[in-house]
Amino acid sequence: MIFVLFGVSLVIFYLARGFPTGFDPVAPYINPKMTAEQIAEVRRVHGFDQPLYVQYVFWLQDVFRGDWGLTGIWAQGRPVLQVFSLSFPYTVQLSVAATILTVAIGLPLGIISAVKNNKVPDHISRIIALTGYSTPSYWFGFMLQLVFFYYFTIWGLPHLPSNLAVSPGMETVVQRVTGMPVFDGLIAGNLQYTADALSHLILPAFSLAFISLGFLARIVRASMLEVLRQDYIILARSKGLRERVVIYRHALKNALIPAVTLTGMFFAGLLGGAMITEFVFALPGVGQLSLQAVFQGDSNFLLLYTLVLAAIIVIANLVVDVAYVFLDPRIKY
Amino acid sequence: MVSRIKGRVRTGEWAARWADLKYTLFLFRKNLLVMTGLIVSASFIVLALISNYVVNPNLAIPKGYPPGTSYPFERRWSWNANHILQWGPSINLYDGPEFFPLGTDGWGRDLFKMIILALPVDLENAFIIVTGAAVFGTLLGAFAAYVGGVVDEAVLRITDIFLAFPGLVLALVFAAMFGRSIPTLRLAILLVWWPPYVRLMRGQILSEKEKTYVEALRALGAGHLRILFRHIIPNSIYPILVQATLDFGGVVLTFSALMFLGFSPTPSLPELGNLAADGYQHIFDAPWLIIFPGITMLLIALAFNLVGDGLRDVLDPRLRR
Repeated sequence: MIFVLFGVSLVIFYLARGFPTGFDPVAPYINPKMTAEQIAEVRRVHGFDQPLYVQYVFWLQDVFRGDWGLTGIWAQGRPVLQVFSLSFPYTVQLSVAATILTVAIGLPLGIISAVKNNKVPDHISRIIALTGYSTPSYWFGFMLQLVFFYYFTIWGLPHLPSNLAVSPGMETVVQRVTGMPVFDGLIAGNLQYTADALSHLILPAFSLAFISLGFLARIVRASMLEVLRQDYIILARSKGLRERVVIYRHALKNALIPAVTLTGMFFAGLLGGAMITEFVFALPGVGQLSLQAVFQGDSNFLLLYTLVLAAIIVIANLVVDVAYVFLDPRIKY
Repeated sequence: MVSRIKGRVRTGEWAARWADLKYTLFLFRKNLLVMTGLIVSASFIVLALISNYVVNPNLAIPKGYPPGTSYPFERRWSWNANHILQWGPSINLYDGPEFFPLGTDGWGRDLFKMIILALPVDLENAFIIVTGAAVFGTLLGAFAAYVGGVVDEAVLRITDIFLAFPGLVLALVFAAMFGRSIPTLRLAILLVWWPPYVRLMRGQILSEKEKTYVEALRALGAGHLRILFRHIIPNSIYPILVQATLDFGGVVLTFSALMFLGFSPTPSLPELGNLAADGYQHIFDAPWLIIFPGITMLLIALAFNLVGDGLRDVLDPRLRR
């Protein structure tokens, strides 16, 4: 795990700084009034004139001391860690909501698909699942905005907000505790704020979940089909158990093993996929910031962002392996 | 399998392969959804191949505005755009003699023709990226698994590093680093898409190389390269084909997403993501600009995913019997 994170940081570091067109790490430390000699001096003091591997060691030393460097002008030159940790909870909230939606929709779809194998419900569920992961995520986000915000407003229906985390003017109504608007509202006991935050969460979360619920449905279908072919299911049926009991009590428990473990991977994947959704819905998350960092050439922020996401992916992998042992007693390490 | 052919029973390796293929096609034809996907994707490919003869490619060159300025917006809409419920020919924005089935974009170009011109760009790049990723991943995975030992371990570790990346970020940084050109974008997406193939191929080869026929070949004195390329890889290539078909749609979406985020070499390049990028700031007053390129992407990806999904079912040895 440490090795993977080390490799990830090395790749991003060399990619972002190792080329003449690269992101200049000196940018946060200079202002336009400085002369060329002053800039060179700043460069020398911070070690940015050293060979790249020396710079990498410097960077690594700083990171172990808890100093992730400064952001560029695009984030007012604040410390990277501060900028990141202010926005990260929102991305987590979005991904959690999307994961919940994925499971809530994808799981039933997969079960129906397997039980009614090769019949009309299977085809419908297959079309929904495949449409899900064939949809350009940004396009789907805009379509949701167009229908549920714009046309619903025109038609005089109750409409959902099209962007931001909470309505303008409500940002400072409750005190920031977790950084997740929904939970902050609950902690402060302000239900109106919570409802507002939830209504702002529905469209982005659905647009994010729509992509991944197809994958989950297909996986559940495949494992369910596998389980339904096994002998103990035939035994359960021949005992005269009702079909519902056979499916939900006997088959589902075993079929869920791959699905449950994959939900962790979905969560990790959604954190990364949140980038485009946050861009489309103008949400204050880290994905949106990392996009800005790419366009503004800020390697410090990108290093932190990719490392945190890579760490979550690696941990999710680990959790999957461990969860397998608990869920499936046949597997032993 | 051989017994399924009507008439004279042929034997031998190629006859067996041919019989296998015929049975596969037979299974394929039974599935209506898969056939639909196959027909739609085939017609997209054909349309992409003949697009330059259907639509004059010079129409994509914007007239009147210097490159880089997309506004003042000269978009026209042959349909009433105010209310979707009132869709139909009207004189809302434009009542000229020419009819634009999908409206026009910011340069006054016919969006329908631009989408047709965009097909070869998207499909060609997706094809190159998927082929590149599949070939590279397959060779690396096969090599690692066949040689085993330290090489295997090293390849696996490197693959792990690339799998742990949030894919889009790596592609974005790469593209930001090496400028806005199509080869850069191809490499950027290739960088993200090869690791799963290594994993897939490695798993296949590991189980395949333990089989008796490999031992028999070795006993017959066949060389390593011959065993690997002539026997093991052809026997374990099906999952790679399925994965490549399934990835095709995903690569089209990723490529257009990068274009959408602003990595297009020129703002007027007819490419689906780039056409959509032109429209997203005008989502509420000119929604057709983003609706139709998006639907095209959705259809392309859906068609290829249907084919891939069907292929997976058809080629799954457990479901074949």
